[in-house]
Formats: sequence, structure tokens, C-alpha cells
Amino acid sequence: MMRRLERGYRILGTGVSFAIFGIWGVGLGWFVCPLIRRVARSREAGEVRVQRVVHHTFRAFVRVMMGFGLLEANIRGAERLCKPDALLIVANHPTLIDFVLLGSLTPQLACVVKKEAWSNVFMRGVVNSAGYIPNDLGDDLVDACSDQIRRGRRLILFPEGTRSPKGGLGPFRRGAAHVALSAGLPIHPVLIRCEPPALMRGQKWYNVPETKMIFTIEVCEALDLQPLVDDCEPRGAAARKISGALRDFYAERLQTLPV
Amino acid sequence: MPSTDEIYKWVAEVLKQQFHFRDADLRPQASLIDDLDLDSIDAIDLTVRLEEKTGLAFKEEDLKAIHTIQDVVDFLHARL
Repeated sequence: MMRRLERGYRILGTGVSFAIFGIWGVGLGWFVCPLIRRVARSREAGEVRVQRVVHHTFRAFVRVMMGFGLLEANIRGAERLCKPDALLIVANHPTLIDFVLLGSLTPQLACVVKKEAWSNVFMRGVVNSAGYIPNDLGDDLVDACSDQIRRGRRLILFPEGTRSPKGGLGPFRRGAAHVALSAGLPIHPVLIRCEPPALMRGQKWYNVPETKMIFTIEVCEALDLQPLVDDCEPRGAAARKISGALRDFYAERLQTLPV
Repeated sequence: MPSTDEIYKWVAEVLKQQFHFRDADLRPQASLIDDLDLDSIDAIDLTVRLEEKTGLAFKEEDLKAIHTIQDVVDFLHARL
């Protein structure tokens, strides 16, 4: 009985949290972001400022969820995310709120977003003002990502391209590998684990688990996978090697990530 | 004019050089996307290499009808 009541409370808390998030999103997109763009000295400066505001919003949102007893987050190595050379961040993607959690840890973080966000009333104001990258650029996507990094902007990529399958790791697309090759930079991997599994792909927000979510997030040392490839190796083959090695890294480390 | 077998060997050679496929990975009906997992960047690289090899110019609309290795071979055979 108590467990059912407790779970009911967490369903309510999740709904309230997401409603707050949606309202914040609209408020940011309709009022705060236009104001920032108006006073910024350049579009780029405006985007960085908006990303900083998003960071503080995400921090507040995570605290709200923690305050409701919905989640706990054990984070290791967060300081690595703020290092100046930590520009290409890669993470696995088990839950809906992975980007929110990671965005709460660093004041500037760009990302690739589903193109549908640009027509979503809760998100379009923010994604446009923050300079996020739409995922429908085709073969220009790698250039757009590399361009962000060359300008010194931290970028997160989720190689699975979507949320992980339940209890596992999806296949890795080669976008992150191509960006690493194009930018000539190491990859900074972040491991994310959520126990019990929650907010997974295809799962409704109200299907909360039996107990609160416990996130374990580990920001790892930079992975320089460039030595895996020869200078004259065609980029298709090089990207496959790097992507394969990256997935192997995740498959191995996620197994041993303590909960 | 090269035969379809000769063209298939060219195409297979390009695929092996560009993406390090093995012979066992390649067959005429192999889907470029579903079986060989080529993405949009791979498609560009493959097109560039085939253009260099054959002197043909591929248009974007040509590529929409190409799904398998055999489709590539047939496309090249019809134009060489």
C-alpha cells in the first residue's frame, strides 16, 4: 500500500516537474531568449548566453526533480566537462533527461536536436536562440558540428542517435567519429546509467519505476582514437574504426559502472 | 564497353578500399544502407570515387534509384 502511494506521489511529481519544465521552456523561448538576442553584441554571443541560461534552467530543473524525490544523481569527473579542451563530448542515451542532466553540469553545451523541436511550441524559441544544430542537415551535419567546435564551443553528441534500447546499448552511428576526425580532437566520453531503467524510448512519462531513479554519471578521461587510423586511410574506413572502438569502450565500461 | 562483371569488380574494389569491406560482405543484392550501413557521408565518398574512376557525373536524382550494389553496376553499365 505504502509503495503504491509512494509511486503515485512520484507519478504526480514527475508530471508537475515536466509541466514546470514546459512552462520554463515557453517562458525562455518567448521572453528571455528574444531579450538576450536583442542586447547581445552578436548572434554568436547571444547563443552562448542563451546556452548559459539553459544550463541554469537545467540545474534548477534537476533540483526540482531531486526535491520531489524523483531522482538521485551520483556524478564523477564533472570537472572534466568544464576543461577548455573538452569540446567534443559523447554520451550514451538511456533516458529522456540525459541532456538535461549533462547540461546542468556545464555552462555551455551545444547539441544536435531533432528537427521537430523547431516546430515544438515548448522548444522552438530556445533551440533556435541557443544555436543548436538540427539533425536534418544530411552530409552538412558533420561540418556544422565541427564548425561549432572550431569556434571553441562545447558540443555533445549521442552516437546512438536515439535513446538506448532497454537494458542495452544501441548501434553507434558514425557522426561523432566523423566530427572527431574532421576537428582533429579527442572524444570525451560520458557514461550514463539509470537504475531502475526509466524514461526510456517508447515509455510514457507516467510509467515511473517502482523506486526513484538513481543516475550514475561518469565523465571519463579524453579518448584519443586517432592513433587507430592511418593518415592516408579513407574517412569512411577511419570513421568505422573509431566508431567501433568507441562502442566497445562504452559496452565494456557500462558493464562495470557502479550503481 | 566493360561488361557488368567487370563493373561489379570495380565497384567492389572501391567499396573495399573506401570502407574496408571484405569480399564476404559484398554481393550484388547487398543493400547499400541496410546491409553495408553506408551513411550520407559514405554515399558522397563512394560517388566521388566512382566518378573519378569512370569519368561520369552522378546527379542527385540518379542516386535516389540506387539501393543495391547491382543498382550501381546497372547504372554505370547503362552509361559507359
